[in-house]
Amino acid sequence: MTTRTDRILDGLFTWVGRLIVGIGALFMAVPALFIAMLSFSNDQHIAFPPKTWGVNRYVDLFTSDTWAAPIGLSLRLAAVTAVVALLLVLPAIIGLKRSNLRGGGFIEGASVAPMLFPVAAYAVGLYAVFAEVGLLASFQGIVISHVIHAVPMVVIILSTAMDQIRPELELAAMTMGASRGRAWLGVTLRLLTPAVAGAAIFAFVSSFDEAVFITFLGGPGLVTLPKLIFDSVQFGVDPAITAVATVLMIVTSALLFFATRLRKDVR
Amino acid sequence: MAAPLVLAILFLVIYPLFKLVYDSLTQGDGPGNYVEAFKSSAIRKAILMTLAQSAAVTVLSVTLGSSLAWTLRRATRRSVTAVLWAAVLLPFWMGLVVKNYAFALLLAREGAVNHFLQKLGLIDQPVQLLYTAFAVVLGMTYTMIPYAVLAAYPTMTMVDVELLNAAQGMGASKRKTFSTVLMPLIRPGIVASTAIVFAISIGFYVTPVLLGGAQTPFIATVISDDIFTFFNYPRAAASSVILLVIAISVLGLAMKAVGLKAIRGGLG
Repeated sequence: MTTRTDRILDGLFTWVGRLIVGIGALFMAVPALFIAMLSFSNDQHIAFPPKTWGVNRYVDLFTSDTWAAPIGLSLRLAAVTAVVALLLVLPAIIGLKRSNLRGGGFIEGASVAPMLFPVAAYAVGLYAVFAEVGLLASFQGIVISHVIHAVPMVVIILSTAMDQIRPELELAAMTMGASRGRAWLGVTLRLLTPAVAGAAIFAFVSSFDEAVFITFLGGPGLVTLPKLIFDSVQFGVDPAITAVATVLMIVTSALLFFATRLRKDVR
Repeated sequence: MAAPLVLAILFLVIYPLFKLVYDSLTQGDGPGNYVEAFKSSAIRKAILMTLAQSAAVTVLSVTLGSSLAWTLRRATRRSVTAVLWAAVLLPFWMGLVVKNYAFALLLAREGAVNHFLQKLGLIDQPVQLLYTAFAVVLGMTYTMIPYAVLAAYPTMTMVDVELLNAAQGMGASKRKTFSTVLMPLIRPGIVASTAIVFAISIGFYVTPVLLGGAQTPFIATVISDDIFTFFNYPRAAASSVILLVIAISVLGLAMKAVGLKAIRGGLG
């Protein structure tokens, strides 16, 4: 039934498939490895291949005071964003999932939607609203935009986690004498804790990495780490950025890897 | 308990979009803002550029992404899946600005790509790679591949592999099995992936600025110029609404084709 040409074409098909996957995987890895490699060059200017090796860029990074203030601002923003996003989403998701309220799906959909909107258009909308209420170029304004930016992911994580926790467990605890509150704290919230921690990390990282809202809404005064990198890449390149970028990559990867693991623990 | 979230969505998601539409029709020249936007050759060029490059990004990301997703689905060795997942999620983990910076360095005149092309004897002089449409498409594809993989993966996990074996057992070639058995089964995932990648792509700001420069303006760059350089907010609002309408139409079409569930499932 299968002819010789069929077999040859099939073999070709398989190899083209493997080639695509191979190119894909390589393409994913190269930029990260490249930055990390360049960060260990001691050359005056960034050049490839590096002529001298060393850790000068890391010394620059930790001794220069260019980076301290933006990193501090980014950390504060990220921490506040994570807390506010959780306070907003956690009660809502628990309420929606345990009450079978009508419209729950709609609320969930509406809170996930910003993930799919073109960021630039949405940033202009926020710009107009913030101009109206005087939140432009303010810490609070940026927190609000970062919270909205983080909410979709937090909703997705917590909602999937809640779907895995069976309401029967809570009922079982109550039939065995636990009060409603105790059943809730001891069973549902406890089972939800890894997902909550995971969601907090995702929210933290999404704010720490955010570069568009801060450009549209932050004004000249608020300079976060991504904004500083964005600006310095646009207007001349400081070689120390390779070191900042490498440190950032490692920290973010570790955090997100941990958060992904936490998410899986619930399942 | 959902009240704070609902209020936040009303005031911070729905109201800004509503205000955008309202302002674009009432401020400045009113509906004339749209006429003005379409009359401006810079904006027309930006819209065409954005659509063409986003289409290229979508084709590349969805092809590479669904191939990777299928490999992830079929791989049995834990070490293989771990390495592949790490590769797929790397762009997420790198951070938006950092990965664009990496591409800026890779594609620069004295960058690695030019270096290797010269070493291989393919070119004599360094060629201009950075600040071209090619650079923007490459950088955006890199960013969008994780979305493409995650959007296509859920439908792929639901495919019964035995069906493929059955088709081949009954004499179908691999190509035939792919086009008549596998493709129809994974279509919802592919459509969701295509719509999600395209809708997000057209709103890109950082990549076109860092890798495209002035040569390849995106709608987002034109919008930001309108606000911060020309102080023409009404026209910026009109361009933003155009962007939104395109995104919503694409998502709506996809939803009609494969259902809300496939799109929602594609988000993680």
